[in-house]
Amino acid sequence: MSVEKRSVTRFELLMDAGFGAQKAGDILLAAFVAMGEYVYVEPMIPAEISPPIRTPFALSGIIIRLADFDITNIGNDTDLILASHEVVLDRRLNDREYNKKCTILLDTGDREKSPATYDAVLKRCADEGLAVTLFDIDAPSKEILGEISGKGRNLFYLGMLSYIYSMDEAIVKDEIENALGKKFNPELKTKNISLYHNGYQLAKGLGLVRYKVEASPRQGEKILIDGNTSLSMGIIDAGFKLFSGYPITPASSVMHNLARELPSYGGCVHQAEDEIAAIGVAIGAYYSGVPAITATSGPGLSLKQEFIGYAQSAEIPLVVIDVQRGGPSTGMPTKTEQSDLTPAVFGSHGDHTKVVISVSNVIDCFYAPHLARYLTEKLRVPVIIMSDFQTANSYKVITKPKIVNMNNVDEIPDFILERFHIRRLPDNIEMVRLNQSLPGTPGQMRRVTGLNTNAQGQITTSSASSQRGHQVRNEKVHHVRRALTTPELFGPAANDILVVGWGSTRGALEEAIGLAEKQGIKASGMHLRVVYPLPLSLKDVFAKYKKIVTVEVAYGDGLKPSPLALLLRSETLADIKPLIAEATGRPVRPKVILERIKEALQ
Amino acid sequence: MTTPNTTTGAGTPPVTTKDLFAENPRWCAGCGDFGILASLKKFLIERQLRPEMTVNISGIGCSSRAPNYFNTYGAHSIHGRAIPVALGVALARPDLNLFVHSGDGDAMSIGGNHLLHGINKNFKCVFLMYDNEIYALTKNQTSPTTRKGHPTFTQPQGSFLNPLNPLTVVLGLGASFVASSADWIPDHLTDTIKAGFDHPGFAFIHIAQRCTHFDAGNFDHKTSDWFSFLKHANGIEPDKRLANKAELVNHDPSDMGTAFKLAASDRRYFGLFYQDRNKPRYDQVLRDLVANAPKKDRAKLLDAYNI
Ligand code: SF4
Repeated sequence: MSVEKRSVTRFELLMDAGFGAQKAGDILLAAFVAMGEYVYVEPMIPAEISPPIRTPFALSGIIIRLADFDITNIGNDTDLILASHEVVLDRRLNDREYNKKCTILLDTGDREKSPATYDAVLKRCADEGLAVTLFDIDAPSKEILGEISGKGRNLFYLGMLSYIYSMDEAIVKDEIENALGKKFNPELKTKNISLYHNGYQLAKGLGLVRYKVEASPRQGEKILIDGNTSLSMGIIDAGFKLFSGYPITPASSVMHNLARELPSYGGCVHQAEDEIAAIGVAIGAYYSGVPAITATSGPGLSLKQEFIGYAQSAEIPLVVIDVQRGGPSTGMPTKTEQSDLTPAVFGSHGDHTKVVISVSNVIDCFYAPHLARYLTEKLRVPVIIMSDFQTANSYKVITKPKIVNMNNVDEIPDFILERFHIRRLPDNIEMVRLNQSLPGTPGQMRRVTGLNTNAQGQITTSSASSQRGHQVRNEKVHHVRRALTTPELFGPAANDILVVGWGSTRGALEEAIGLAEKQGIKASGMHLRVVYPLPLSLKDVFAKYKKIVTVEVAYGDGLKPSPLALLLRSETLADIKPLIAEATGRPVRPKVILERIKEALQ
Repeated sequence: MTTPNTTTGAGTPPVTTKDLFAENPRWCAGCGDFGILASLKKFLIERQLRPEMTVNISGIGCSSRAPNYFNTYGAHSIHGRAIPVALGVALARPDLNLFVHSGDGDAMSIGGNHLLHGINKNFKCVFLMYDNEIYALTKNQTSPTTRKGHPTFTQPQGSFLNPLNPLTVVLGLGASFVASSADWIPDHLTDTIKAGFDHPGFAFIHIAQRCTHFDAGNFDHKTSDWFSFLKHANGIEPDKRLANKAELVNHDPSDMGTAFKLAASDRRYFGLFYQDRNKPRYDQVLRDLVANAPKKDRAKLLDAYNI
């Protein structure tokens, strides 16, 4: 059978939640990595735990992008879909992320349950020009599945995918055994392995095209890690000793990781009674001198806003992580979005003085806590770290980050500051209150309050002290403004168009600009890691481009600028419009950025 | 950030009233808060607690201004949220002496959820609930403890419902220390604070507090026939000045059933309702967890993710 070589390809496995699609994804990922290939994985997770099967809500899947080079994003579209039945396939086709040549493998095992819908979905595929290969799980495998109540289909499909992607069967089997664990019932293990094997054979018998991505072996120490885990480890390395949180998707796994690990590094996790208490405990700990951090997602960010304002006013260091999800309100907890930018920057009543930094990938996740701790202790203003569902859940092989083992913020290494395009802050930064001593310091007793105070910390409503308080707090943020260097640029420093993005859009943006350069399109890109404040040089940098646009996973239209466009317009007075401002819950795609660039330049 | 050396001032001169003075309180003349401030200061001096080792945490309200009037460390936080901030201090710095100041609106209304969980977590602190039965700092609104029929700006026809009873609420929540006192009986209040401070957990102290400005009639501090003192070898001494005037009732603070009956009755009782020294402390549990966790080397932090 022919094997087609590919430099990059993308496929999906679609199943009902509860049948192990995520597990199959984990095994595939580990096996591809073991084979030296570059992988970027994005899980598709339902908002509920176990929605009724064979409904659109039950879709639980895994998107895998495979390449012979280091990939930064989940890519454009899918080349192959393996679906366990027609309903999940139909649901996923709605997202329109397949290409014209996409191959579909559809399990017909459920056909008798609903021949009419099968026919309708097959007709849809035909209408859309998609080639469908139907298959039926073989009789011996069906018998095994019957014995284990269907919970092994994922391994059967894994076998099929192993064949199609020319995987080394021995490596995959090793990974299956790893995934099942040593304590797994041996009889069941044999059954699972048989399912894997039968799937492999079935795919072989179907005469399908096989693909091979050949990667050269990698240099240096590598790790395989997801965004939230990287963030959790970064929190430990940055020296935080208390994590205080409340369960919320998609931030919870940070708390899970730390609950398991932090005590071994001398810190603890507090699960609070609500989002407000979670941030309050972090504030109490930091006030007492122990670096503390809290993590949440959109609804929790709203609930924490009063305390964020208090920390500004009382000059208590504070780091808040916001792993963004679809909004507004409860929105889409398991989908990605970047709409919390405005509440992060402008949230909490009264004047706002804080720093907002973002992570663009799993490596940034590791180092963001260091920078956040550095900034919050130097300035005593809150620092918010913005991640999102996409970055939090994407798995990637990365060069092992350097362990910093930061105990004191002055130890922050230059390479972290450079990564976030910021210089070291001045040594002496003025505070509203002259005395900032910690409890336990004799002779320096002091009270903090959210009320306005003078420099001695006394509560007052005098006009001069209020104006001074605002001025001193804002000056702290101006120090950051002045310390920021030019943000990361892709392509020339002067061009027909500049596409600006922040956070998780970096990978797609970088790839799109690379594609544009190859096609001779005069487009450059800019990515912001620190999103507030913005560098003073921004206006001058923008002046070199004929057109400036943004790419955002957030809503905007002709009458309403999207959050980043709004922020950039207000800071630079440049006529910035969104190129892509869509809150679809799906990551932006490089090819779509490229198409829109072409349209914008016409 | 480095945690300061916290040797408790051996060889330093004794702590005096003058040392604890921060500024003149901005409460109305005759406000019961003055009495509470004085009793807590009296305790801090009697016990010779170093001012740098004391932290007062509060929410918002007339009473929540109290931390500003002690020359110790303190945080005047946001409305209803003193308990989370205090828990943060307790988890970070077990070496500090922690007092939480909260009013009836702060503790029983906006901060009710935190009171529930503070009590359940039973972390080490003295929780002083200043109950003046009204929202005072916001100027005369009905609070959860305002007596039925008492007119306020929000319920001018007279407060509609029977008040919440803080004592039965906290007993029902499983509080490990429940005591009650009043702002105008300084000896008893100081003794109550003392008992609370010596309690190994969350010590809930309810304090009847006069608000001369908005409800001068909330507590009759001139007579003593409307309340009784609880008395027991394991309890709190009845107030020295009033012991022969007020009724004394024997009550064993380990007897939860009777504690609940007394707390639920129409009569007022001052003293120790209930104490359980053995209730697990969340702050201690977390500290033990950290102490007993297998130590890991930060240099090898990412090794588990190697491929
Ligand atoms: S309003 Fe009432 S509680 Fe507030 S300070 Fe005046 S007397 Fe005290």
